Amino acid sequence: MNRKVYVFGNEHLEEDSLAKKTAVLLKPLTGEVVFCRSADELLDAESPLVILDVVKGLKEVRLIPPKKIKSRSLVSLHDFDVGYVLKLMAEMGQEKDIKIIGIPEEGEPQKIAKEVEACLKNLA
Amino acid sequence: MARTITLDHITKIEGHAKLRLKVDHGKVKQCHLTSTEGARYFEGIVKGRRFNEAHEITSRICGICSCAHVIAAIQAVEDALGVVPTKQTVQLRLLMTLGERIRSHATHLYFLSLPDYLGYESALAMAKKYRPELQRALDLMRCGNGMIKTLGARDLHPVSATVGGWLHLPTQEQISEMGRSLESVKRDALSTCELFNGLKFPEFQTSGNYFSLVNKKQYPALDGAFGCGNQVIEKKDYKSFIKERHEADSTANFVVKSDKRYFVGALARINNNSQLLSDDAKRMLKKSGVQLPSLNPYHNNVAQAVELVHCIDQAREICGSLIVKQEEVETIRPRAGTGVGMIEVPRGTLWHEYTLNKEGIITKANIITPTAQNLLNIQEDIRMFVPQVIKKPKKQIVLDVEKLIRSYDPCFSCSAHFLEVDWK
Repeated sequence: MNRKVYVFGNEHLEEDSLAKKTAVLLKPLTGEVVFCRSADELLDAESPLVILDVVKGLKEVRLIPPKKIKSRSLVSLHDFDVGYVLKLMAEMGQEKDIKIIGIPEEGEPQKIAKEVEACLKNLA
Repeated sequence: MARTITLDHITKIEGHAKLRLKVDHGKVKQCHLTSTEGARYFEGIVKGRRFNEAHEITSRICGICSCAHVIAAIQAVEDALGVVPTKQTVQLRLLMTLGERIRSHATHLYFLSLPDYLGYESALAMAKKYRPELQRALDLMRCGNGMIKTLGARDLHPVSATVGGWLHLPTQEQISEMGRSLESVKRDALSTCELFNGLKFPEFQTSGNYFSLVNKKQYPALDGAFGCGNQVIEKKDYKSFIKERHEADSTANFVVKSDKRYFVGALARINNNSQLLSDDAKRMLKKSGVQLPSLNPYHNNVAQAVELVHCIDQAREICGSLIVKQEEVETIRPRAGTGVGMIEVPRGTLWHEYTLNKEGIITKANIITPTAQNLLNIQEDIRMFVPQVIKKPKKQIVLDVEKLIRSYDPCFSCSAHFLEVDWK
């Protein structure tokens, strides 16, 4: 079953842009791709779903267990990020079937897109 | 005994701020609130850009209140160009403003303010016990977000609103759907009022005066004069009354009116305009027991909850009557001039001013945010408040001071990551 792919990142920041650059190269068969502007879009997302986001320090594309995502305390509304929303949904008993595909900060978008497609194929 | 308290990072507010407080024998010897944000330079960035770029650029001042900057900038530019928007455009701008206020108030009340009063470090820590309350917050935020997304074509940094009209009109069905969404969260807003009416707020009175837009016809959002009771300033005269100054170690503006501190925000709006609230909002205000005009900054939380009800009622009314017509954006002929946009946004009155040359290029800009106007008042409130709590343990003093700051819902703007408290 194809899962919707929710893509995060900031296209204006080089180090945070690769998920969005990669997502536009994914083959249509991969499933519907949703480009997100804020993390609270996950609150309405239908399960099962995939999150595609840049992960700091990652050297290659890989699946990241949601529980491994660190969430900061919410000290400002600007901290309402993916990590916080995932933690909040879990604390509120709204756990969804979520797979996270982590993308490195640097790399060739074409090559990474192929790796992401392989990852998605394994999830199907 | 002299005690110095330095809060290098004040938590659960928007942006970076630092408080330096020195107390000697129960008397405050130094109280200095500074913004430690990097300078933003937005007023410089827009210089040399075309008139129709101001709102797109200044929207980036903040992701939380991007709609506010969009609308204030457009209104200032239209004022400079002598452009009068259509009734439909004004209604769409108003709806977007109301949507942003719903989203912002719900988030501030439940995620930043409520944990203080329920004794939790954060909303996440209270999620298991207060699941229905947080669900209510999420539903209200979703409703506000949805309104902005529908109207602005994006939920952050909206792109539909422009000088002289609306680029991407919502459909009639989308407006009807918006009305249904608002109806579905009305109960949540009423419950929010009941929840905040039941909280115990510290007894404290600020010495600052309250200022907001005042409007005889409609609870203020996009038009009116700037006033407090009978004192009223027309927007064109604002520079005669409102002065900005910078402190050596702070990147923020301090703003005074006639050399005196004042505050803006939901409490100021309600103090000035409670008679224009919707019936249900008036009813919830009455139930709160807050006597107007209130000078207790903690009551800003109650005021925001009451405004949630009002914003939903007002937005529903617009959705119920708005018939969307296809309207072209007005063709603008540039001309030289200066214009001011003065609107009410979640945290208070926001000012944008632009001077254009005859080609429509921006030659001068000035932006005054609500937090800049509140900053001096917050600092002086802390100076007055601390002697009342100075005998309490350090941890409690920090919490009490932070609660006072947070009650103003300040936004020092963009990405705040505090948590440390350094006691000297």
